[in-house]
Amino acid sequence: MRRRLLLLVKEIRDLFLSRAALVLLLILSAVIGYSFYSAVVLYGNASVAAIDNPLYAAGFEPVPGVFAPTFGGLFLVFSLFLPFLLIPQITQERRNNTLAVLLQIPFSWLEIVTAKFCAAILFVLFALALTLPAVALWSAWGGHVPYGELALLAVGYLLYGIFVASVSLFAAALFDDTARASILAVIAIMASWLVDFGRDMNVSPLVTAVSDWTVTRMVKLFENGILSAQAAAYLLLLSLVFAACGYWLLRFDLRRKWRRLAGTALVIMAALYLASHLHLNADLAESGRNSFPAPTAEALRKVPALEIDVYLEKTDSRFKDFQKSFLDKLLLVKRDVKVTMIGGAPLKESYGKFVYQVNGRADTTFSNSDEEIFPLIFRLAGIEPAKRDGLPSYPGYPLVTSSGRQMTVIWLYLAMIPSLALLAFTAAHFSPRKKE
Amino acid sequence: MLRIKEISKNYAGAPSLAGVSFAVPANSITGIIGPNGAGKSTLLRIMAGFEFPDSGEILFRGTPLAGFAAIKRLVSYMPEQLEIYPDYRVNQFLNFLHRAVGRADEELLDVLNLRGVGQKKIGHLSKGYRQRVKLYFSLCNDRRIIILDEPFDGFDPIQLQDILEMIRAEQRKGRTFIISIHQLHDAEKICGHYVLLKEGRMVAEGDMNALSDRFGLEKPSLEQVFMEALL
Repeated sequence: MRRRLLLLVKEIRDLFLSRAALVLLLILSAVIGYSFYSAVVLYGNASVAAIDNPLYAAGFEPVPGVFAPTFGGLFLVFSLFLPFLLIPQITQERRNNTLAVLLQIPFSWLEIVTAKFCAAILFVLFALALTLPAVALWSAWGGHVPYGELALLAVGYLLYGIFVASVSLFAAALFDDTARASILAVIAIMASWLVDFGRDMNVSPLVTAVSDWTVTRMVKLFENGILSAQAAAYLLLLSLVFAACGYWLLRFDLRRKWRRLAGTALVIMAALYLASHLHLNADLAESGRNSFPAPTAEALRKVPALEIDVYLEKTDSRFKDFQKSFLDKLLLVKRDVKVTMIGGAPLKESYGKFVYQVNGRADTTFSNSDEEIFPLIFRLAGIEPAKRDGLPSYPGYPLVTSSGRQMTVIWLYLAMIPSLALLAFTAAHFSPRKKE
Repeated sequence: MLRIKEISKNYAGAPSLAGVSFAVPANSITGIIGPNGAGKSTLLRIMAGFEFPDSGEILFRGTPLAGFAAIKRLVSYMPEQLEIYPDYRVNQFLNFLHRAVGRADEELLDVLNLRGVGQKKIGHLSKGYRQRVKLYFSLCNDRRIIILDEPFDGFDPIQLQDILEMIRAEQRKGRTFIISIHQLHDAEKICGHYVLLKEGRMVAEGDMNALSDRFGLEKPSLEQVFMEALL
């Protein structure tokens, strides 16, 4: 155990005290600072009109308004820059032959790879911790901090960071040189963005189908305040595929490693398939923006199995609205919902139609508004419709910030944190050491 | 003690080693001699378990050594292209090594004169001192077989005498050395047993007497044997 800890400390030191880590830290600080600053300015400007208007104020939520954009900076840095920090930790050891040193000490392959991976995860956590000063400032200004929702956001980005670390490990195991491995890793990570873009551009039905399973889409769930067991399992298992394949590829002491690679990938793919059937979701958004009001949800639970035939393309904006404002919320309440996307000639003939079926009774609407849909469903099920409350229960938390406060963010993230990082780096590398 | 049996290795279809067989006597210092491209480093990597041969096997006391785990319990290997953590200070690396292996060799530290450079970064050391750090790493363990790939590069003649004496001292403790050397006069000073390689094939092996007999030379220098065998 002591030896493993020693190796972990070495890996943490190698990673955190590298020049690439310093550069990444400076970029992270600038990006998080600027993202937070921009979000605070926009939120503050919009809040002016909401201070004395409770109905308007209800729309002011700190997580989607301020913290999600701040973490969005992390998403960019993790995707584009993190591989350039993590990959050299392996490729340099390969090039310098120091893997031979570690293996002969002797550490096992698993100990070496695990230590490197843990160090990478610690760096991701450290990067996430850089958002804490922003949260502290927000709280000090009198802003509301929904801790549960914020923690969920952080978990989403932690899972994304783990995914990036796994892809980096895989790329570093595949290629000896840092440049090729980094390019491969960035391409693999950005593939998710490309698929999302392809979906938005309606490139092909295949891309649209695949886009339901992109990493970015899974992370988005956490950003939206939904704790999804499926998304968490999916991100972890996908990370495991890359990490395990990287581990096997790295091992030069194995013959027939392709068999192990294929076996590992198959087992984890099977686990991924099982994970795709996990439907344990919870809306952790403080405002409940992802859920129907409690009386409606209660009434919907009493509705028997529901079938919905949708006569729309998945890329149609009406379907996207329907999905966001109704279907996603419905699926949080009811599992016995079967949605069928109608294609071919029937789609063309009745484009825009929604057919709802309960207990063999069916009704049709062209509306995607829940004000139309609820009465229709309750009528089919023979259930008394839930009474809707006119006033929102969530008060909203608008916050106007002065320009002086906003400038504090710039000073903190573009001057103080970078200066501290530079000081720490200089102290670690250039300070005279005690004689032994 | 160690028998190399019909080892062959091809890279992209071109043979790097072709059916190399020889024996390494216990407690010997065996020099692997040959011109550039003879396959010395490939042979050492295979013997250390860092590469698979296409065919052939390595026997330790008559038993095949199967797998990297079995080899690394016996063998310590210093690759030629080894750059030990250039950003680490010498003491920092030594502390890590000592704590990881659970021992320090104080005598070896003195012989290799590493105490005086403890505060320097390994990357800032002269080549000779970087070699000393590598040698210390290779010897600071309890392995019986030490494989060194070109360990004498970067030493001046005076330093080299100390290093050769240190290797002899380790040999007296019961260790077996297999050393790839391209400087023949250095090899002659330290080795008692030789394996001559040319274009991936073993040309001759044995002590100087055996080599003399093999090539019909009388009290030859290693250089004479080398010229006779390889040219």
